[in-house]
Amino acid sequence: MIALLLSGLVTYLERAVFLISKRVRPPKRVLRYLPLVGPAVLGAIAVPGILAPRGEVSLLETVPAVIAAVLGALAWRFTTQVVVGLVVGLGVWWGLLFGLAQLNA
Amino acid sequence: MTPETQAAVRAGLRDSLLIVLGYIPFGLAAGAAMAQTGVDPALSILSSPILFAGASQLVAIQLLGTGAGVALIVFSVAIINARHLLYSASLEPHLADWSRGQRMGAAFLLSDPVYALAISRFEREGGAGSRGAALGYYFAAGLTGFVGWAALVAAGVYLGAFIPTWVPLELAIPLTFLLLLLPLIKDRAGLVAAAVGGLAATIAHPLPFGAGLMVGAVAGLVAGAIVLARTTGEAE
Repeated sequence: MIALLLSGLVTYLERAVFLISKRVRPPKRVLRYLPLVGPAVLGAIAVPGILAPRGEVSLLETVPAVIAAVLGALAWRFTTQVVVGLVVGLGVWWGLLFGLAQLNA
Repeated sequence: MTPETQAAVRAGLRDSLLIVLGYIPFGLAAGAAMAQTGVDPALSILSSPILFAGASQLVAIQLLGTGAGVALIVFSVAIINARHLLYSASLEPHLADWSRGQRMGAAFLLSDPVYALAISRFEREGGAGSRGAALGYYFAAGLTGFVGWAALVAAGVYLGAFIPTWVPLELAIPLTFLLLLLPLIKDRAGLVAAAVGGLAATIAHPLPFGAGLMVGAVAGLVAGAIVLARTTGEAE
């Protein structure tokens, strides 16, 4: 329990440090690069999960997921609705996985 | 509450619920994995409100299960969650006019999906609206995610063994983050940051403690910063 509480405290400090302290500031010359944090971190979360949706980069795993992600992104582009992009992407992915399973059967 | 704030609260609820749906497989799987460690289920369930960061909860509980010491557990969690330092710095300019108490509350809810939702909202054309609307959106999205995540992990702890594995949902989370990422890419520097960050994280994925994510984020930041410095002609 102590380990969990201390872990929670450390995590909270990491989340809070720049938000609540007036003294701890990111250096000035770093400030203009802050808008890049979103793309860099979200890219680092999204891309590995798309290239290796089930933990493995391979033709049969990567290609269907990339096609699904591209079509999901296009669907978002036309509708600007995240839910549409998600439904299209997952739908395409399931369709491709199902098709591949049929070919292998 | 002004109509604008009410609309923002509704938008926060809706956007966040969608993400909770995407997290169903991961939340249940994380809860099920924690249940298999032999650690008191109450601790596994409590790890959600205490940490509110899935990967670090899983590692903390698994380490507890192996009898690891407090220092190792806290250190591992600190490394896995170091990306929150970036979120904190990135959101600060948008929360500058919030009260100290509001910012302290916001920090507690600042997880991956909440950051992704908030930064998309704050940096969209026209911003997040008035201060009330920004607060309403952030806390509606954050609290929905907080409650939803805690419920999913608790469900996973007790029901993990009964979850069918034939519905592949692994793509839901990365796809959601991709869709939240796209509107943030506004110039070449943003595109390079996302692409390099993503590829570096993929290559560094086998690193322990989920450090691949941090490696990717830093690589993406550096690459994007180089492009930004060049394109604005202010290379330092």
